[in-house]
Amino acid sequence: MNPLRVKAGRLALVLGLVAGTIVPAHAQTALSANDFWFGGTRMGFEYPQLRDGQFAVATDDKGLARLLAKTGATLSYQPGQNVIAVTTADRRLITFTLGDPHVTIAGVTQAAAFAPYASGSGAYVPFLDLARALFVDPVQDGPTTVMEPQIAGLDVRPQAHSTIVTLRGATPLTFKRTSDGDDSEVSLAFSGTASTLEALRPVDGPGLRSISITVDGSARNPTTTVSFAAPPGSVHALADSDSPNALTLVFAPAGVALGGTPIPAAGRSNVAFAPAVPDETTPVAAPRPAPVAPAPALPPYGDQTAANANPDASMTAAPAETPSPTAYGLAPATISAVDTQSGAGGLYVRLTIAGNVTYEWHRLSDNRWYIDLKPATLTVPSLEQPLDDPSLLSLRVKPFTGPNDGLATVRVGLTLPSPRSVSLVPTSTGLMLAIGAQDDTGTQVTGTGELLPGRLYTGIVPLPPIQAPADVTGADQTWKFGGSGSVPTNPKLIVIDPGHGGSDTGAEHNGLVEKELNLDISKRLQTVLVSRGWQVKMTRETDIDVFAPNDSARDELQARDDIANKAGARMFVSVHSNSFTTSEQNGTTTYYYKADSYALAEDVHSRLAGVLPTADDGVRKDNFYVIHHASMPAILVETAFLSNPSDAALLKQASFLQKVAVAIADGIEDFAANSQPLSDTTTTGGI
Amino acid sequence: MRLLRAIAIVALLAVAVYGGYRLFASRSQTPNNAIAVYYCKTDGETLAKWVVSVNPNATDTKSMAFYAVAQTLAGPPADTAAIRFPAGTVVRSVDVSGPTAAVDLGGTIATQQSGSFAESGEFKALVWTLTSLPGITAVQVKVDGVRVPSLPGGHLELDEPLTRQSW
Repeated sequence: MNPLRVKAGRLALVLGLVAGTIVPAHAQTALSANDFWFGGTRMGFEYPQLRDGQFAVATDDKGLARLLAKTGATLSYQPGQNVIAVTTADRRLITFTLGDPHVTIAGVTQAAAFAPYASGSGAYVPFLDLARALFVDPVQDGPTTVMEPQIAGLDVRPQAHSTIVTLRGATPLTFKRTSDGDDSEVSLAFSGTASTLEALRPVDGPGLRSISITVDGSARNPTTTVSFAAPPGSVHALADSDSPNALTLVFAPAGVALGGTPIPAAGRSNVAFAPAVPDETTPVAAPRPAPVAPAPALPPYGDQTAANANPDASMTAAPAETPSPTAYGLAPATISAVDTQSGAGGLYVRLTIAGNVTYEWHRLSDNRWYIDLKPATLTVPSLEQPLDDPSLLSLRVKPFTGPNDGLATVRVGLTLPSPRSVSLVPTSTGLMLAIGAQDDTGTQVTGTGELLPGRLYTGIVPLPPIQAPADVTGADQTWKFGGSGSVPTNPKLIVIDPGHGGSDTGAEHNGLVEKELNLDISKRLQTVLVSRGWQVKMTRETDIDVFAPNDSARDELQARDDIANKAGARMFVSVHSNSFTTSEQNGTTTYYYKADSYALAEDVHSRLAGVLPTADDGVRKDNFYVIHHASMPAILVETAFLSNPSDAALLKQASFLQKVAVAIADGIEDFAANSQPLSDTTTTGGI
Repeated sequence: MRLLRAIAIVALLAVAVYGGYRLFASRSQTPNNAIAVYYCKTDGETLAKWVVSVNPNATDTKSMAFYAVAQTLAGPPADTAAIRFPAGTVVRSVDVSGPTAAVDLGGTIATQQSGSFAESGEFKALVWTLTSLPGITAVQVKVDGVRVPSLPGGHLELDEPLTRQSW
């Protein structure tokens, strides 16, 4: 706080009192900082001022902060901004503008006592205007001005078979039921709360005839009693509310089964975390509650669905691109023929090449071997040729654009019956791949070089070592792959990311902890995939932070992607469980972000939606960090909502978790099987 | 006489045309202090909007953007089902530089532990609201004055400007 500002404010206040200029519009006597009471104590303003004879309070005054806290309101203001915004607990926006003597409450502008002004780190606003907007009204009690929280709204919604009543107050509403067991009248007493609402309101709705309101007690300790007159035999229930400061009750004629709790002897506002109204009817859009004078009625809210709410709903794989042979200014070689020839030592694949090319070859653990030649174009059709040869099961040749360098590239892929040796032999017409009859006993799994006419230079292009998988047996031997711009170095590797972990618990609801669930499902998925011949790497296998405890979000999330990126995984699957602030939301969602991940999301989600009893919330695009920064097709599966009772019950069943795991695994395999084959003309780095 | 009558008719027609034009123009023009504010429905996907009028004395770009953010944080009335920023979220500042609005949020959002569902709906509404203002196409979110990759324990990437194409 600025001491000078405090002194100046107090001096001005004293001068104002002496001069008799302080005449608030809504109080009969002068006001001073110490004269304001709220909730049984002095408000204790730190540095109030007078402006145009009205009480001004700073946005950063602790006295105002207490009022805001009691009412559940939030104030936004920073020096340099022209607007002061206050959001009430029931989501009304109150705004003041520096230099303008008006206040806007939920979109309706009305005159204020004076124009707010900036001072130091805060801004001064007309206190009484703000307080009234918060449903806190000044009442004179001798020399003291008591700020009384009001029950300011009474919202009555007759339904087909019931009547829903919502009381809206300045603060959370606490009541004691003062009526006896006779259900023809229910009276609730709200201590410490006043009201200026009309004394009697006829209703004549199902289960409710009228509502009467009386206010007793002193200015400092008022009590508002709200009585509900109901036909004999009527039933009632206490429902959850949409605001901490609201109380929702339901009345119905005899014979209607209400699902909620009968109004108890005592209670308070209960913010919804369950279906809001325990009724067989669906609540309809309701008018805003009658506001306390002088606030005007709120404007109607539009409900226009955005014309393009999901502009990317029809996202499809990226269109094929024409390879760019002249990237980096290199003249491309041409590959004009590919043929095979058996020989004494095995099988030879001969490539007729005109021009200079660099090459890069890789041996994969599942007996596949491929070589990329670049810059090069293929002047003959792509080839996908199963072979009935003891040395070679299939041969594929396909052009594509290198995802990292943009160079036109031709990939030659071999499916071998075993890890046979493959030698590169330069010829006068190009290059020959000599497939030996024996297995390769060496440890080299990759190599690079350059091919000039009749000459081969090896090892001129540095490559990082690539760890080839070694423990895959009986694996998918097809060459279907790709759809991604990334080149996986381990096409059998799936990275599973159990969301959250360690110091980050994720969501917690209904006795469930998200990080634990995610890990459980992920381990099941790991087991299923491994049993089907896939390799799996988990970003975490226990309840830990992947990077470090209490690390930054960037470190933690990037660490998960780094595991997949460095391993050259074929897919990245992040497993999560969803939550929301109310319990209605449920269902299963699969998220993707990059175009190359859409097909994986679709395949996985189709399987999930096909077997899970949860609601199908569909495939959605969202810029989630972990699926953005993984270089391979990546998805995030939100299995179900912890915060929904039905979903939570399912998440507690091992059989459900297993179904989720199996469905994800099925989807992964669908994606692998459906991915773009090598012979297609789309630009894929797949092999 | 005929000439006078013709002149009178032409004059009347001109007045009628001009009046019609003014009437049409006044109806078709969006007031320059109106803001389209979006919220995400609880299906997690559908955006809805309503139009609010800001104080005519606060229609500079920065004030409009600040108001737009504050209104998005408040969301629609409490009885409207919507994905909302957590109560207690404040807007610390809004600055507009070129096509990007830098929004500094604080309060409870800094410690929100919600699912991806809520995060997505919250920020989608924020981005669509701000990018409905003239000249703004991207939103850079900060939390307590700092650019963050995501909320703590969060999902949505925040360290780069968000656009409508982020969803």
